[in-house]
Amino acid sequence: MPEPSKKAVDTLDVSIHRAQRATRGCTCSQAMRFAGIPQGRLGFVRTCLLAVSMLMLSMDAKAAEPDSDDPKPATMESLKIEGRRKSNFLSQQASKPVVAGIPSADLKQYHEVIQPLLKTKCMDCHGPDEEHANLRIDQINPDLLSGESVERWREIYKVLSNSEMPPDDEPTYAITDDDRKAMVAWISGEMNKASFVRRNTSEHTSFRRLTKQEYNYAIQDLLGLPYAIGNSLPTETASEDGFIKNSEMLQMSAMQFERYRSLALDALKRVTVLGPRPESVVYDISMQEQMEKLASAKNAKVFNQADEDFKNNQRRQHFFNTETGEGVTFSNGSVKPRGESADVAGTDSSPVVLSLGASNESKWNLDRFLPDEGIMRVSVRVGRTSMLSDEYASLRLIFSAHTSNNANFSEVISDRDVPVTSAATDPQYIHFDIPLSEIQRNPFRKLETTFPRRDEFLHIRNVSSIRNNKERMRLHIDHIKITAPFYEQWPPKSHTGIFFPSGNRADENIYGREVLERFLERAWRRSVSAHELDQFMGLFANYRAQLPSFEEAMIEVLATALAAPEFLYLTEYSVKGQDDDAERISDFELASRLSFFLWSSVPDDELLELATDGQLSTSAKLREQVERMLADPKASRFHESFVSQWLGLEGLESITHVKDVELLSAMREEPIAFFADLLRRNGSVLDFLHSEYVLVNERLASHYGVRDVFGPEFQRVPAGKNNHRGGLLTGAAVMAMNSDGSDSNPLKRGVWLLERVLDDPPPPPPPDVPEVDLTDPRILEMTLKERIVDHRNKAACASCHSRIDPWGIAFENYDALGVFRTKVGAQPVDANATLFNQQPLAGIDGLKRYLLSDRQDQFIRAIVHKMTAYSLGRPLTFADRSDVDKLAIELRQSGDQLEDLIHLITASDIFNAKQATGSEHE
Amino acid sequence: MSDMSRGLNRRNFLRGSGLALGLPWLESTAVSAGESSTTPKRFMSVYHPDGVGLPLKSDPAWKDWSWFPRGGERDFELTKVLDVLEPLRNEITIYSGLSHPASRKVHGHSNADQYLTGAATGGHGAYKNSVSLDQVIAQHTGDATRHASLVMSTNGGIGGPRGAQTQSFNQEGRPIPAMNKPKEIFDTLFLASGKDAQEKLARSKSALDFLIENTRSLGRKISQQDQRKLQQYLDAVRDTEVKLERAQKWVNTPVPEVDTQRLHLDAGPEEARLYFQTMYELIYLSFFSDSTRVATFQLGRENGEGPHDLLSKAVDLGMAHGLTHDVKKPDGWKNLGTYNRYQASEFGRFVKRLKDTAEPNGHGTLLDNTFAMHGSASSSFHLSRNYPIISAGGKNFGFTNGRYLKFGKGNEDNQAGAGIVSDAGWRGKISAEEEPLALLFITLLQRFGVETETFAGVSGTLDRV
Repeated sequence: MPEPSKKAVDTLDVSIHRAQRATRGCTCSQAMRFAGIPQGRLGFVRTCLLAVSMLMLSMDAKAAEPDSDDPKPATMESLKIEGRRKSNFLSQQASKPVVAGIPSADLKQYHEVIQPLLKTKCMDCHGPDEEHANLRIDQINPDLLSGESVERWREIYKVLSNSEMPPDDEPTYAITDDDRKAMVAWISGEMNKASFVRRNTSEHTSFRRLTKQEYNYAIQDLLGLPYAIGNSLPTETASEDGFIKNSEMLQMSAMQFERYRSLALDALKRVTVLGPRPESVVYDISMQEQMEKLASAKNAKVFNQADEDFKNNQRRQHFFNTETGEGVTFSNGSVKPRGESADVAGTDSSPVVLSLGASNESKWNLDRFLPDEGIMRVSVRVGRTSMLSDEYASLRLIFSAHTSNNANFSEVISDRDVPVTSAATDPQYIHFDIPLSEIQRNPFRKLETTFPRRDEFLHIRNVSSIRNNKERMRLHIDHIKITAPFYEQWPPKSHTGIFFPSGNRADENIYGREVLERFLERAWRRSVSAHELDQFMGLFANYRAQLPSFEEAMIEVLATALAAPEFLYLTEYSVKGQDDDAERISDFELASRLSFFLWSSVPDDELLELATDGQLSTSAKLREQVERMLADPKASRFHESFVSQWLGLEGLESITHVKDVELLSAMREEPIAFFADLLRRNGSVLDFLHSEYVLVNERLASHYGVRDVFGPEFQRVPAGKNNHRGGLLTGAAVMAMNSDGSDSNPLKRGVWLLERVLDDPPPPPPPDVPEVDLTDPRILEMTLKERIVDHRNKAACASCHSRIDPWGIAFENYDALGVFRTKVGAQPVDANATLFNQQPLAGIDGLKRYLLSDRQDQFIRAIVHKMTAYSLGRPLTFADRSDVDKLAIELRQSGDQLEDLIHLITASDIFNAKQATGSEHE
Repeated sequence: MSDMSRGLNRRNFLRGSGLALGLPWLESTAVSAGESSTTPKRFMSVYHPDGVGLPLKSDPAWKDWSWFPRGGERDFELTKVLDVLEPLRNEITIYSGLSHPASRKVHGHSNADQYLTGAATGGHGAYKNSVSLDQVIAQHTGDATRHASLVMSTNGGIGGPRGAQTQSFNQEGRPIPAMNKPKEIFDTLFLASGKDAQEKLARSKSALDFLIENTRSLGRKISQQDQRKLQQYLDAVRDTEVKLERAQKWVNTPVPEVDTQRLHLDAGPEEARLYFQTMYELIYLSFFSDSTRVATFQLGRENGEGPHDLLSKAVDLGMAHGLTHDVKKPDGWKNLGTYNRYQASEFGRFVKRLKDTAEPNGHGTLLDNTFAMHGSASSSFHLSRNYPIISAGGKNFGFTNGRYLKFGKGNEDNQAGAGIVSDAGWRGKISAEEEPLALLFITLLQRFGVETETFAGVSGTLDRV
């Protein structure tokens, strides 16, 4: 986004400066939506200049600054309690509105009460004369059940119930509380009826293709493949509600289809084995031997602990004899594989260790003997020289080759840094399993000639928070063992998972059916019929004639099953005989729905067994299974996937101003860690709005100014008094991605809050909103002032932005990296804003206070809405309104807790109901 | 290796090989509907490592042995390096001032990888490349021919990161192995496909039939609304089936018979002249027989030893790479220029052959319907700027030749970075401005009918071409 002329800024006052910052980033997401362009990774950003209209607004905001000498403001925690008392949901019955017979629109009340009010109070601005917000009240259909004006009525309901309309500064149009109540009640009642009616005619479905991520997880879980294979599949775009599971977004092309089958074939070949166990290459590195070899070399740098300059020698990695105090400086070593059986130097501890200070690494030349495929296990026995809690060290693996001058590469091959937690006196083994086919290898390793170089290097690095590495904690490694390919057992579990032992192995036709049946039930997530097995066996017979072994032919068949829609799509139909309730999904469908909700993957054997027995849908079993699923490590996929889609964390991928990779990754991780922690504790979802604690690791803690947090793991610690942290709203990720790269962007932040947190997306702009391409040099030449003048008169824009921008202004104390600030340059930050309903927000504190005391129900409903949409894998429509309300009521009444919400949803009618309508059962 | 089923084993099929057969499940297989049977458009690119000679003006060698021509767009004058192209002057265009911005500050030895991709492949650390120009074109034209593209190099295979031995990278930026043995290339191009390929096709066909049947039966159990979504899957399967049928058609179509007189299939780089001519002739024959419309040929890897280093034997000089280091020795510029001159003459011979052959499948000559590029990703010693590029042909899709096109600003006489023989050169500060080479690529793609505005993050087209 281009910077406006500096000169223009200098001539304007503070408020303009702020307005200008808002303008710069006005990416008018609404305009994009209006134009039917999905939001997200668009290469170009259309810019709506009209955020400049908020200039006036921010001036108002300044005037509305509350007195900061207010004696003792209520604590946030007490506001949570107080605000909860105001909840409407708490007093409502948690049942869906019961409507006898087919409901009809209450037009009598409309004509007698509502319409006259609309005419006198609304029509002047929303009628034939003026058409604010693109709304003509005289043309709106009062029959909500017909459906055509429902969305408009929802907007009207919103502005009336939030007291945003009629505008406070228009006394002529002020309405009494009773009139307002009557209008709100009528609209609400009609919307409920419409929701009920539309339930049976709705155009939505959960039938959809797996996302790329789900596909990856499903293949891994199904086949026991320890890494993702489908990274070459295209990435999905999020739908308007932020979720990527929306079936409309999940397309299928010939290219993709082909890729699915070849990926499946590839994956199956990797998890199965043919022939006898291959000999593994084993490097067994004894530090004693290495030190002896090194010390006897001509120019060895030998030193002793007793030497005066010992500290200097400690800067670099070295071998060290803990008994004699002797050391030898080490740069890198060459090792040759030993025979697999020869377990030399092995596990007996020796006094000689490889000593690594912070950022030291040991580089091992493994020559060219590593196999092409399979898992390379790297086992390192390591301990720390001191155990102080403020010191942290971990191991990282790097792989490299230097094939010729200027043709080299190196890449990190360990998934994450593994912390060392044991003392050097009692070292621990750390194991890394690296898929050799998935990392960058030296392509010349098989050359007959010696140039380009054929060798490959493994680096073991000490990644540590310790800065002064001269004196402080070091890592002592006394044994390294590298085995490739590494097998836990032979044949591997992944192989026997498909080709399991059976008395019928000798008969390919019988055994083939057994293999197929077991595989298909897991892959297709339902029982398969004898007829289906016959068909697959036909395909098998076809392949078997061409291929040399049973396994090779069967793998081709299984790959075909994994390219079939019953694997690639979440389908919805009932197996005959189990379908006694047409409205409810079958137990198998429930198993899939649960597992794709909480594990982003296929159901496991336990879920399928319960489904086979028809037990899964009983409420006790269901609850028990959901608890089990949430406790499973696979639930972390749910944390990751839901939170990143809910908050739109993919926005972090399109910003470039966070240069520190470690910080960027900590920013992204924070809200996920927060969610996971809250879920584990079954805490209140109101903590998302504000908490007295933060979830941080060392890097993020130092960014936030929170002290005494060490290491890369996220921990829950007190937020601290003046850190202005706690909850999700002020997370660095949210602030950074809603910035323009160099400064805050109030508009983006406002839109983000409305869409993601309050589920109140700003309405689409009226059709006459000019869209301005800021790459157009003609526009660029305009000064800020000219742009303001150019657009000042377009009040239509002000009405929209005035609903968005104040929310964002309240975040002004956070800069583009989410750091709290009190000044922008020399100017003090002004984060006071006034909402459209005249509610003043005194910065972030004021915003949180307002949400906690007056908007709890809205937030609760929003999170229920988001979670329900995610769980069903489809956007919610008007027809789902009463179900969401019911869930919101239940959540409030049960105490707002996060895990409870998951249970409420999984037990709900909407989750257990067939989503598709008009099905034609045989 | 006369039996193709041995030459191309299953692993090669899965990973994609120098010759991308029109078979399904292959990443290099084209997907788009491609061209109809109008006059073909073809693309070929030759890459040579180690750049060219750029002595300083003050150097006596400058007059004869500086690579770039002198003079204006039309009235340019070729030095001794390129004078062998004088008879073809109206068929060629010479460019200056073009390079890929992402790698201008990277050592020239690391840059063969990005010549056709424009990716930020960098000089160290983790490595990622992107799709190459030829493969984008192949995706567009590939369905019309038996092979989507022909990928060749003197050294063969893929080389290493920043040490590519192939110019072609697939949609995911993975290198496509190049073929380097004339016999192997000939067999793959002009011998009938083997049993293995036949069987693989048959298996794919059975899988598709099965899936279509299975999908139909699923369709009967789900709602009408869901059936509409399922239709998309069925369409994808059917598209694949069409492709499969096309592949089957190629398997069943007899391979063209070609004149093998000029081929020396057993030649290796040590017999430089024969090898060079044979490789060019293979491209010629594959174009002439319409076996493929896209070819890349990399003359050796950047930096150091390998079979390509022997190519300079053709002009009785020492190892090719050494020539670039020895320019300050007696006759140094001349020797390097002589080797570059030899490369140009072989390219010229190929261009002339295209020019002398009437288009067998349309109007004009083969050259009129082929855009042939010759170039390197460095000019002066290790300097990743001002790529020395020659193009030829392409008249029938809008290229006007007989020109020397200078792009950029501040380096009109091609002296920026000239005369250097140390690494201070490529690291040095250069103030001249250059245009992104990708602009030429985009222009080219659009003339091939590929609907694109961008390549390698660059958007726009190149003026004047």
